[in-house]
Amino acid sequence: MLDRRNFLRSTAAFAGLSALAASLSPLRELGDYTSTEQFLQKYYKELTPDEMKKVLQRITNEVERQYGIRPHVRDLKPMDGVEFVYALNLTRCIGCRKCVHACVAENNQSRNPEIQYIRVLKMPHGSMDVEKGDHTYNDKEVPDPGYFYMPVQCQQCKNPPCVKVCPVNATWQEKDGITVIDYDWCIGCRYCEAACPYWARRFNWTKPEIPKDRLNPEMAYLGNRPRKQGVMEKCHFCIQRTRAGRYPACLEVCPVGARKFGNVLDPESEISYILRTKRIFIQLKEEMGTSPRFFYYFDK
Amino acid sequence: MEPTPSASAAVSSKRTNYCLGALTLGFIGLAVAFLGNLWGHPPARQQIPPVDKAFLEKTPWRKTYADLVRGKEDLSDFDCYGCHDKKKPPPLRFDAHSTLIVPEEHKDIVMGHGSHNRNNLCYNCHNESNLETFQVRDGRELKFADSTQLCGSCHGPNYRDWEAGAHGRINGYWNTSLGEARKLDCANCHNPHAPRIPTRDPAPGPHALRTPVMRYQAETTP
Repeated sequence: MLDRRNFLRSTAAFAGLSALAASLSPLRELGDYTSTEQFLQKYYKELTPDEMKKVLQRITNEVERQYGIRPHVRDLKPMDGVEFVYALNLTRCIGCRKCVHACVAENNQSRNPEIQYIRVLKMPHGSMDVEKGDHTYNDKEVPDPGYFYMPVQCQQCKNPPCVKVCPVNATWQEKDGITVIDYDWCIGCRYCEAACPYWARRFNWTKPEIPKDRLNPEMAYLGNRPRKQGVMEKCHFCIQRTRAGRYPACLEVCPVGARKFGNVLDPESEISYILRTKRIFIQLKEEMGTSPRFFYYFDK
Repeated sequence: MEPTPSASAAVSSKRTNYCLGALTLGFIGLAVAFLGNLWGHPPARQQIPPVDKAFLEKTPWRKTYADLVRGKEDLSDFDCYGCHDKKKPPPLRFDAHSTLIVPEEHKDIVMGHGSHNRNNLCYNCHNESNLETFQVRDGRELKFADSTQLCGSCHGPNYRDWEAGAHGRINGYWNTSLGEARKLDCANCHNPHAPRIPTRDPAPGPHALRTPVMRYQAETTP
């Protein structure tokens, strides 16, 4: 016979348990981006080729499940005798921002909220003070007389402050000079974002949103594979392209040829020619001692 | 009058039951709220229109004669002797300020090569005696497809930079052992008759970074 006390007890127990279950329900959504395999995955540098193959397979399946497109995910290693350097011709840049959007399209950045690796600063003539730069300009026509344009992105420092502060070694500098992030290892503490003097790192505050028809299926593990909520990302010199021998996306789309990229260890490369013969204005914020692999130069 | 122990036990068990009942109702309410996801919905995100695909275009905005030949496209514009007479070169006419008058038939050409009129003369580059070729200042004749060398005959430093890859656009592979690098010609980016790169509409600026303060600044600064 169910008396009043037992009825109340069992009701309370039932309600309490269901409330507990319900409060855990957000964990169901976690399955979208953290599988057990990913949770138990080893550190990037400790993965054997076989394990890497499995990881790439997992990413391929995850992307296919989410976007309905089967991507081509690779883990490209740095080439021997290659060190990448970027140079940007401030005389030529017209501030059209095509590089910004080519980068977003190539690297599968979130479209909403918008994540962009490149900021184009509109700067008044006669000053090199980045504080005077404006990246929200909305002119009808560019270039605006009296101004020059300075695109800023990850400078791929030789002495990167962001790597030093990472508490879990989720970001490091590779042999070819690219500072990379393992999105599966990042804990999202954003120390690197604070350490970077160039505002080059971006944080995924929410789950990134990429329209299916705009997903770039050519992916790399350390490059443009889709990120999840709560991890950092930044420019990686289009690792999926440049380690396959191609030019970065921002360079190819530049309508005026202001962007130059290449192997600085090859004396025949255009980048060596530029560093040898051109008037190099700066490595941005040189005084920070970061020694960027990104050079700004003038033609005349 | 003091309550008897049994009466006080009855009161306390009543209180316990009320507490348990209230707790039960609270739990049920919470369970309903959690299951129904009544809160925790973030406000709907502001829609950001996708960027126009024209801004992602990598092909150069102009086609050179060599591109037209490669693409097997219409070359009738380059058939000079369809209209001109082979024996007598068309004369140049000038207005009162000795500015070249572009003839009606070539109205699509806007002359704007350099800052003074000395550069805006047809026969600086086109060959008077054979209109379907160029002439270099040193007397050499060049085919239409070799226009870059013609530009280089005056613009030495830029031509040297272009040859080294430092001026102009290159698409494809930086590592030529893995693929082809395609170096664009002068006329892919510059209109030879008015070589200055025209101004253009910039692609949209950053949404997320456009904070209210920045929007205010943008709206209030002239």
